[in-house]
Amino acid sequence: MSTVLQTIVEKKHYKFIDSVDTWQEAVKLSTESLIADGSVAPDYYEQIVRCITKYGPYVVYDDYVAMPHSQENAEGVYQTGIGFMRVKEPVDFGCDEDGERKLAKLFFTIASCNPDQHIDNITQLMGIFQNTPLLHALAEANTPEDILAAEKAYPCVEE
Amino acid sequence: MAKLDNKSFLVCCANGAGSSLMMKMTMQKMLKKQGINPGRIHHCAVSEAKSSASQFDVVFCARNFTGNFKEAEKKGTHVFGLRNIMSEQEMEKALREAGLLD
Repeated sequence: MSTVLQTIVEKKHYKFIDSVDTWQEAVKLSTESLIADGSVAPDYYEQIVRCITKYGPYVVYDDYVAMPHSQENAEGVYQTGIGFMRVKEPVDFGCDEDGERKLAKLFFTIASCNPDQHIDNITQLMGIFQNTPLLHALAEANTPEDILAAEKAYPCVEE
Repeated sequence: MAKLDNKSFLVCCANGAGSSLMMKMTMQKMLKKQGINPGRIHHCAVSEAKSSASQFDVVFCARNFTGNFKEAEKKGTHVFGLRNIMSEQEMEKALREAGLLD
């Protein structure tokens, strides 16, 4: 079984950029690798943007991690997968209701149409999001090889 | 018997697909460590949770969603908003402060 990071590399679901002007543009760019192989429709990102606009930047977590997602069985999703994107300059998602500014450098954008695979993806992502050394290494990644090397150096261990 | 044994828990996020699932997994781990056997844990979207929340004993959501559960709170449901939805410590602290954990 491949890990989610291995799958990201195998399916070329990654993107490395230096900076982007708005979080909306960032969300769009994070879906490009999923659009490229037909995993999602070109306008899938619009649903995610609408959702974040409506509910606030709750998809941005600690350590500059964002997990943009829409609903299960969302329109325009044809394959379950994760679009990874690393941005060098933190992307500003604005403040949440408590005034905390939400910044993201690592995007794990979710596309889901297969519940079992989705649950497995989310479970693995949770391990990654709690693995701070791995997140730091991923934030420095510039190539798919760097992603694999980061995972090898800081594997997620099952509790 | 622990206070929270057999209690029902609801976790929710905007869509009921991503963050709420993570919250549910975090909660399962936390309850297990505390030796609590929950009655059930349901995860769903806020839109669904809004109408069903009062049927649960405890509701957890990201803190931006707490405003949706005023009615349920009046009916006695404990509602907690989390800053970090993957933090077992935060969940534990919230339950402890509400007197639901020893």
